[in-house]
Amino acid sequence: MRRALVPILTPLLLLPLVPQPALAHGFGQSYDLPLPLWLYLYGAGAAVLASFVPISLFSGKRKSGEDAPYLYSRFDLLRIKFLRAVLTSQTLLLGLRLLSVGLFLLVVLTGLLGRQNADANFAPTFVWIIWWVGLGFFTAFVGNVWPLVNPWKVLFEWAEALVRRLGARNGLELREPYPASWGLWPSVALYGVFVWVENVFPGSSTPVYIAVLVLTYSVLVWGGMVVYGKETWLRRGEVFSVFFGLLARFAPTEVRVRYPKLCRGCSDACGTVEKGCVNCYECFARAAPEDRELNLRPPAVGLSRPEPVPPGGVFFVIVVLAGVAFDGLLETPLWNELRRDFSLPQVVGLVALPLVFFAVYLGFVKLSQLFGGGTGGLRRFAAAYVYSLVPIAVAYQVAHYYTLLLVQGQGIIRHVSDPFGWGWDFFGTAGYSIDPGVVGAAFVWYSQVALIVAGHVVAVYLAHLVALRLFEDPGRALRSQLPMLALMILYTVFSLWIISQPIVIEDQAVETAPQEDAAQPAPIEKLREPPMPDIP
Amino acid sequence: MNRTVVVVVLVILGLGGLFLALRPDTTSSGDPTETPADEPRERIYDVAIEGGAMNPDEISAEEGNFVTLRLTSESPVEVHLHGYDLEEEVSAGEETELSFEADATGQFEIEDHETEAQLGTLLVQPR
Repeated sequence: MRRALVPILTPLLLLPLVPQPALAHGFGQSYDLPLPLWLYLYGAGAAVLASFVPISLFSGKRKSGEDAPYLYSRFDLLRIKFLRAVLTSQTLLLGLRLLSVGLFLLVVLTGLLGRQNADANFAPTFVWIIWWVGLGFFTAFVGNVWPLVNPWKVLFEWAEALVRRLGARNGLELREPYPASWGLWPSVALYGVFVWVENVFPGSSTPVYIAVLVLTYSVLVWGGMVVYGKETWLRRGEVFSVFFGLLARFAPTEVRVRYPKLCRGCSDACGTVEKGCVNCYECFARAAPEDRELNLRPPAVGLSRPEPVPPGGVFFVIVVLAGVAFDGLLETPLWNELRRDFSLPQVVGLVALPLVFFAVYLGFVKLSQLFGGGTGGLRRFAAAYVYSLVPIAVAYQVAHYYTLLLVQGQGIIRHVSDPFGWGWDFFGTAGYSIDPGVVGAAFVWYSQVALIVAGHVVAVYLAHLVALRLFEDPGRALRSQLPMLALMILYTVFSLWIISQPIVIEDQAVETAPQEDAAQPAPIEKLREPPMPDIP
Repeated sequence: MNRTVVVVVLVILGLGGLFLALRPDTTSSGDPTETPADEPRERIYDVAIEGGAMNPDEISAEEGNFVTLRLTSESPVEVHLHGYDLEEEVSAGEETELSFEADATGQFEIEDHETEAQLGTLLVQPR
């Protein structure tokens, strides 16, 4: 199957680079002003100070609890009659699935047939802003709807139902055994490719490339589902299911099968089902309606649930943490200077950043182990702590992107009326122009700092829950916390630093310089220097 | 439990104190020639476009200013200001004015509409 993909991927890689400004984050320029220096310093100080709150909550506790991570308060929304009727409605579900598949097809069609201008076409705004940023936020702050509406999954299920009706009893799945050692590595690789497309690939905002990439990925997903089975591939290789699943651990809602024993047989990926079968989507789908719970719970507690991490699982989280920072880092003057001085291609940063993050993470985990006098493999510690960093990444992601969603996301109002850019006006909104001033800079700055500091506090809290689990003795748990606290402060300050840097917009003129009119030699030296605002 | 309350109170006091200590004094730092804050000022910039870049390449204004860019160029160019989404044709050697009220804060790219190459940046700082 892999060999079959090569001829599809090769022409894509050889596509001529379009002379377009290389915009970071796929499409859409953020108008945010860099954080002023004093607020950056304040944020850093506040992160250190605020860390004492979660720590003091624990230091007085007598006993650590093996069960503590499972014992959080929750409320089953399905107990409310009205909500039960709405949330379990088959009509609503079918409607959502039809909408999702419709949008999927619209992205492909507008990409292939529509006007090749990111401002006039539905695909770039929808994919990069509404879906990638918007659905990410929704998953982290409301709950994970991706398993319900994932168009690749829905289309596969429909195709399979059709094939079965036509008489093929075995359906579409070959169910080859998935090599256990692969773990999440296919998702790690795909996430890396995705971040490259988003931040480095110059054609990321060109509609036709988006369509081609979506189709290429579709071949891969459906290939994976056919060979290894739908559920296995969704858990291991469908990178967006894995990514949204990670964010869903942060979410204030969870799906749970009431009796853990019902989950025992259905999957090896549901984690420690004895302590509750949570967010195990395939088990949930199979459970009888009366055994299903849709719980409200405190945000982020899902990240403290100890669960077996598959091979590549720790690295996947690290790649996500690095990928979130990569986008902002690309636009900083420091990175641009480094790149100029050593003439590094962007890809170097893409590969190096997760490795640096991973090395730093392992170093601090080792220190934490030494401080606490813990025994056992580094691997166990690394797997236990990794999810506790996610809140900082979520907070940074929101701080970094929410204005993009609010400002550039308005573009979708225009695109729904004229998705192809052919001059249609379905809903009378084709002439809508984006209002860049929805949120003022001062509010943006304060909210960014508040978000990042809040994410940091939650992360410190989670790390301490983990420590209590790893070390029986609260004193040792507290000592082991110090290196993790240092790591978290480091990551938080790094996040703040990125948003305090003046944004350097990479000028594609550098790469397309040979196109300059020969009769009028361009001052190459000048072109090489991207305009760089003074650092305050 | 008591200790937690004490820590929370101390942390809140610390956060507040740090904020007041670091925040720049906005009431007295104003430039003496500045008109009162509720009366927007007019700002005029002479901008020359040469060799694919603006000179100056960074225009810094304050929220609420009435900004006028007097654009001159050695070759005809269509200037596009992002965010405010304004376009202005500038013919060679002729001064063209681009005026607008800077009501949205942020940094906005100014580009050559045809090549989509960046010419410069407009910064609108909050008041």
